[in-house]
Amino acid sequence: MSPAPRVSRRRLLGYVGSTGVGAAAGAGAVLAVGAEDAAPASTAPAPAVPGRTIEPWGAHQPGVAAPQAAVSELVALDLLPGVDRDALGRLMRLWTGDVEALAAGRGAPGDPAPWLSQPASDLTITVGVGPGACRPGLFGAGPPGFGDVPPMRHDRLQQRWSGGDLVVLVAGRDGTTVAHAVRRLVADAAPFARARWRQVGSWNPTDPSGRPQTGRNLFGQVDGSGNPQPGTPLFDATVWVDEGRWAGGSSLVVRRIRMDLDTWDELTRDEQERSVGRALADGAPLTGGPELADLDLAARSQGRLVVPADAHARRAHPSLNGGRRMFRKGANYTREVETEQGVEVESGLVFLAFQADLADQFVPVQQALDESDQLNEWTTAIGSASFAVLPGFEQGSWLGEQLLA
Amino acid sequence: MTRTTRTTPARGRARRLVPAAALALALGAGLAACGDEEPTGSADTASAATEQAGSVTIGDPWVRATVGAEDTSMSAAFMTLDNDGDEDVTLVGASTEVAGMVEIHEMSMVDGAMAMQAVSDGLVVEAGRGKVLEPGGYHVMLMDLQGELAPGDEVELTLEFSDGSEQGLTAPVKEFTEEEGHYHEPGTGEHDH
Ligand SMILES: [Cu+2]
Repeated sequence: MSPAPRVSRRRLLGYVGSTGVGAAAGAGAVLAVGAEDAAPASTAPAPAVPGRTIEPWGAHQPGVAAPQAAVSELVALDLLPGVDRDALGRLMRLWTGDVEALAAGRGAPGDPAPWLSQPASDLTITVGVGPGACRPGLFGAGPPGFGDVPPMRHDRLQQRWSGGDLVVLVAGRDGTTVAHAVRRLVADAAPFARARWRQVGSWNPTDPSGRPQTGRNLFGQVDGSGNPQPGTPLFDATVWVDEGRWAGGSSLVVRRIRMDLDTWDELTRDEQERSVGRALADGAPLTGGPELADLDLAARSQGRLVVPADAHARRAHPSLNGGRRMFRKGANYTREVETEQGVEVESGLVFLAFQADLADQFVPVQQALDESDQLNEWTTAIGSASFAVLPGFEQGSWLGEQLLA
Repeated sequence: MTRTTRTTPARGRARRLVPAAALALALGAGLAACGDEEPTGSADTASAATEQAGSVTIGDPWVRATVGAEDTSMSAAFMTLDNDGDEDVTLVGASTEVAGMVEIHEMSMVDGAMAMQAVSDGLVVEAGRGKVLEPGGYHVMLMDLQGELAPGDEVELTLEFSDGSEQGLTAPVKEFTEEEGHYHEPGTGEHDH
């Protein structure tokens, strides 16, 4: 069955849901004004728009390479029994309409609360497909090297945070807008899939003056300095599947990493820095230079390695992993957990790794870290999931069309 | 991510795509002031209409599900219509295989209660402006439904415009509970309230 023609996609960025504007403009008020003039009167000068409206179209889903957002929320879903390839096509077309509307700051079609969507929210929505849905009759085989992440010795995985047939990663500068988008996407998917887990975390991607910064995890470490930079050939080679049905896609590993802040805090600053190989103040290599300088893995001081043999940044370094690397993002989480002793607070990192080939990039590096990494002392993976990231879509097309049509 | 041109036409039909334009719509509470729409914020949008393709762009379509409704013989389709051209265009009709009868309707307050009626002369989309079809306002009424419309289904709809153009679209069926009664008012077989 060939899918019906799609409607053209609107690209009118200032075009908000009429129900949202109605209250401000008032019944019957027909004024030749732009959207900004329709806002409620205020004497305060409007500050610069703090965020961007990110268009959803292109060769790649834009959320992968977009700057780290303040809030990231992921929801994994399991397909309902009986969902076949045709049904997946309907779901993907449905989600495509939602993604386009939400990214522009409109409510999703049929949204009962469109006011919760806003433009300039840095909003991106990234859709991926789990190993269980990468099979004949559904999405077909995944991209090269895609599959489950094999068990690691240090893992203490909980089903509660693992697996899933589909994932939606919603990122943005505001948690309310992000949560609303997640809710709409999950609600609209109800005929096809049911939510399995949902995780949310935050990140501070800008310094006090508003300039982009790498950001820190809850250990206080500047986290992500070694990332390939979007827009470079290295980034493209690291992240994107370059040919075949999945060309333009990627793979995503989601690891929920619990962090033991109490025992970490017992370390001296020197011990903390040597466990990673970077300075805490600015994330610079202990071997010198600015944050983005490469580590000098051979450097010694008084006979011993400046970056210890089991320091995290050494063990993960591409030069010791056959050039393998990944593009990683993170979101810090804090959550109350009911225990027999009462309510305790768990802290950690929702770790996201993007790579073209999961088996050839993520897995060997993770195995090297599992074998030896000082940070294993204070971190524990309690959830793990992998997803093939769908290629991007152009206006008039839809998510996954090249895989399902 | 700040591209300003779009070159990908909708599959299977010629479509003209225009630069982004700000368009604000003012519908009083989405109900009473149907038809009050704002002109576009910029004047550069209505430059290069191509007659044969029609100048109306359809966006954000969806159809209300009937599953679980009292009256499953009716539903409605909603969307936005943007007229990127120099001339006013009127939506004069629509058709779909799922409904025996399709009309363009508006909802309005009659004697203190919401009621809907056919827009007999069609729905005018003025040049450079837009119309929103939404619950409580304009809608494409689907009557004499041939079967149940379940969330997750897709409805193929053809819109007919006064310039002679037709546009096909595929609208997802979504659950929507607000004001359910307005679209499932038990009629007399025909839709005549
Ligand atoms: Cu009606």
